[in-house]
Amino acid sequence: MSETIEAITTYLAPRRLDEALQAMADGEATVLCGGTDLAPQTESGARQYKARLLNINRVEGLGGIAADGGEIRIGATTTVAEIRRSAALAKIAPVLVEAAEHFASEQIRNAASLGGNLCNASPAGDMSPPLLVLGAAVELACWRDGAAHTRRVPLEQFFVGPGKTVKLAQELLTAVVFARPAPGFVARFRKSGPRPALEISTVSVALGARVADGRLGDVRVAMGSVAPTPLRARHVEAALEGRPLDAATVAAAVAAAAEDAKPIDDVRASAWYRSHLVKVFVEEVLDDVRGN
Amino acid sequence: MEKTANATPTAKQTLIGTRVKKPDAPDKATGKTRYINDMVLPQMLIGKVLFAGRPHAKIVRIDTSAAEQLPGVHAVLTGKDATGLKFGFVRDNVALKDKVRCEHDEIAAVAAESEDIARQAVALIEVEYEDLPGVFTPEDGAREDAPLIHDNFPGNKSLAFDFQHGDVAAAEAASDFVVDNVFRPHHVTHCCMGTSCAIADFDHNGKLTIWTQTQYPYNYKMDLAPALGLHPGDIRVIQPPIGGAFGSKLDVYPYEPIAALLARKTGRPVKVIYSREEEFKASPTRQPAIIHMRTGCTRDGTLTFRSADVLLDNGAYTSWGPTIPVIMMRTVSGHYRVPAVDFKAQAIYTNNPYAGSFRGYGNVQCTYATAQQMDMLADMVDMDPLAFHLKNSQKSGEITPQKSFLRECALVECLETAAQASDYSRKRKEYAAQQDAPGRYKKGIGLASSIHNAGGAKIHKSDGIGTILKMDDYARVTVITGASEIGQGIDAVITLIVSEELGVPLEHVTLVNNDSDIAPWDVGVHASRTTFIAGNGTRRAARKAKAQILAAAEKVLGEPAETLELRGGSVVRDQCGTPIIKLDRLLRQMHFQAEPELVMVTDYYEPKSEPEGAQHMSDHSAAYSHAVHIAEITVDTLTGEIKVDKVTVAQDVGRIINRMGLEGQVEGGLAIGLGYALSENMLLDHGLLKNASFRDYKLITAPEMPPLDLHFIESDCAEGPYGAKGISELPTIVIAPAIANALYNATGVRIFNPPMSPETVARAIHERRMQTAPGKATTPSEALAV
Repeated sequence: MSETIEAITTYLAPRRLDEALQAMADGEATVLCGGTDLAPQTESGARQYKARLLNINRVEGLGGIAADGGEIRIGATTTVAEIRRSAALAKIAPVLVEAAEHFASEQIRNAASLGGNLCNASPAGDMSPPLLVLGAAVELACWRDGAAHTRRVPLEQFFVGPGKTVKLAQELLTAVVFARPAPGFVARFRKSGPRPALEISTVSVALGARVADGRLGDVRVAMGSVAPTPLRARHVEAALEGRPLDAATVAAAVAAAAEDAKPIDDVRASAWYRSHLVKVFVEEVLDDVRGN
Repeated sequence: MEKTANATPTAKQTLIGTRVKKPDAPDKATGKTRYINDMVLPQMLIGKVLFAGRPHAKIVRIDTSAAEQLPGVHAVLTGKDATGLKFGFVRDNVALKDKVRCEHDEIAAVAAESEDIARQAVALIEVEYEDLPGVFTPEDGAREDAPLIHDNFPGNKSLAFDFQHGDVAAAEAASDFVVDNVFRPHHVTHCCMGTSCAIADFDHNGKLTIWTQTQYPYNYKMDLAPALGLHPGDIRVIQPPIGGAFGSKLDVYPYEPIAALLARKTGRPVKVIYSREEEFKASPTRQPAIIHMRTGCTRDGTLTFRSADVLLDNGAYTSWGPTIPVIMMRTVSGHYRVPAVDFKAQAIYTNNPYAGSFRGYGNVQCTYATAQQMDMLADMVDMDPLAFHLKNSQKSGEITPQKSFLRECALVECLETAAQASDYSRKRKEYAAQQDAPGRYKKGIGLASSIHNAGGAKIHKSDGIGTILKMDDYARVTVITGASEIGQGIDAVITLIVSEELGVPLEHVTLVNNDSDIAPWDVGVHASRTTFIAGNGTRRAARKAKAQILAAAEKVLGEPAETLELRGGSVVRDQCGTPIIKLDRLLRQMHFQAEPELVMVTDYYEPKSEPEGAQHMSDHSAAYSHAVHIAEITVDTLTGEIKVDKVTVAQDVGRIINRMGLEGQVEGGLAIGLGYALSENMLLDHGLLKNASFRDYKLITAPEMPPLDLHFIESDCAEGPYGAKGISELPTIVIAPAIANALYNATGVRIFNPPMSPETVARAIHERRMQTAPGKATTPSEALAV
């Protein structure tokens, strides 16, 4: 272990949410859940531990999937493996289950939490595009004036940059919520990398829309790894909204993808390849929906 | 025909060709094995290295005072502590540097009570550098105005090799077709699961004991000695279990003398162990090269000549990497019948990481070129590549231009077996016809082959091995052998052979092969040689023991030795297998009699091969072998992803000894070859490695391993143990060009700069389409149709 772990002087593993929120009220706690991003980042020196390490795994009410009502609620400590195995989500939002299936490896899925994956704010975060097309929001809680306060932030406003979100240091992401998709809602997710297993996305594309009379409505398209944050592809959405799902519409959406995706060259892929893949995936998910 | 191993062979059964498990497998599978990485010695300190982190620089000032004052630090060493202690193939390396020539150059080293303290101390060392312009390709290094990396190597020239045979100009004039390409095989590294580690300790007589991962313990002493100013005789090498080598431990690397220098300075054992990131940055690589190859043939498909002009990226120092042309030229001159040959290779120093030896040793790079040019020429003469290969195949008894004697050559049989098993010719035609048809996913099939030494390679004065075999009063056998076990399975092979010869159970054979003060000399694990060489040595020693035992049995039993055999733990009558006397009882009788004798024999086996020599005209291996791979793939022409659906392998193995070990070696070798072909790539930016982690350096993992259809051709090698040949490198060598040829069959695209990563393939397909129909398509899939 490196010297960074020696920076930790206090370890807390509370059972109640208010205890957890109080422990981070001064903004001086490192939150630990699955640790699949935290451990390698601190080990490599990319991130430093604060003096207080706050394990939220035992906090009651932070885990679990509530899928009975009109609003679906996934607790922050829910693991990616739990999402993958959820029969309820497989029915309500199969796109999320599919993304969980393509997420890293079995071992990482077993440990990684949904909340952690979102707070890590990687442009390549696998859970972000499907949640964006589901219109999800995150709940952020904090302790202020002797009481817990919670605010909701739409996921598309949550990400600010690589590793950066609007969440304040004293806030804890407690849950992800989204409205139960209406009848006729379809969603697709597609990602790629140079190797099928244990992959970090070169590019990912998700589509969510209501299909009625051969036309798309309430279209949401999200992309990963094409910009500093996962993003909503507004130009592609505009090219699809209210349009008949035919070849001309697909071509227009593919052309519009270039307006939304502003990728960079990095170790994993060139900007050219990412732009190319975005077009391929936009066409692929639309063709897939057309085929249904 | 599969045979099942019996714990003890009886009269009519043989263990040869059966499936025998590796003796160390249960311990490794259950986590019981104590690897070198786990070892802790009393009083042991941890050594940590300060790496330069820049490719080319002068060291202006170095201040270690803060590090030295940190409590728990026992020693801080810098370049001045290693002055003059040059080591390496051309004595261009030193454990601690006074100038920076590559990113991982070792500038200083610390020994401390704990890893944390050592790490903190390294961070406290202040170094002022003056960066120098660097050289990052061999072309740039060869330029007249290139910055000089080593003062005593003008022109940045490291080793050079050449070989000519026949009249290439005349052969070219007589050629109807010539292919002419430049191939640029890339940097990859071994990725051993056990990271580099050494523990060094001196006694008060000045003798060094080093626990290390080396795969050549005896010449290692000779190579390590100058790095420490020691006599090689004062070095004892102990080889604990290791997590892989694959050629990466066939040289001395700086962390080993660093551990020893720190141990000498502190008087305590010092362990240096790399993190995964350090392992990526500081390990040797497979040598990248620029191979300008030309091959010609006549209209009827007869090869006329092959020429190769090779520029090698040496990296900053000369390890074994730059010697790979010795093997490359054997392939250029001997991969099929080539009447005229011209081979030139020059290694150029650069400020990149430096190359070592790696399974396949130059043949991986070279076969990527030769096997694709075979495919291209077949296309030009409009022949089925199978027929083209068969037309130019050597037969048993032929001698290559470099005097490799192909005494038992099963190339034709390998080609026919693999082609038939995979239905190659039909599929190739069918897929080629579909190349430009609409559709996103394309199937392709590709054939490639290669030749490799399979009976050692006499690049040293001897290619031999020493063996000592002894038996105790309970008929337990100990084999003290020079053959190192680095995971390749020689432990199982030796055990099997002893059991076969002496009729004792496999579990009654113990190996002592990890201490240079005990076991006799051997060249080391390389050149696909260990089963061949150590197998012969073991069999010879076991047969000497057997002769001694049966002579004693003759005296005791009054039956002629020729009619007796050792089977099932007893002396038996050869004809019927009837046990006459228990072996342990006989051994005790021999031991405790008036004229006592113990069974303890020695053997030194030297294969019948000729030294390589400066002219490169010698039968340098005691055997040669061929393998054919046929890869079947599906290409996503939009994303460029290649899925390998199946690989059919036909390999001349001489004779199967341990079928399980053979299968494991072929599968493991293929996994390395597949990674090389498809995904592995060290991304260097001005000499700095950008993907020093398994997250971004893509090994092949289990889900990507395709189904394998393995066919072992038994050509019965007269020199090999029971007819066996060496087998372990060909699986790594042949697969990449088989996939490249399949990619061409599927898409009409060829990749000259591996790996065939999705992006590289997608771009090549995209560019090909843009040439045919530029700018007409509005969507990616529409582009497929035009």
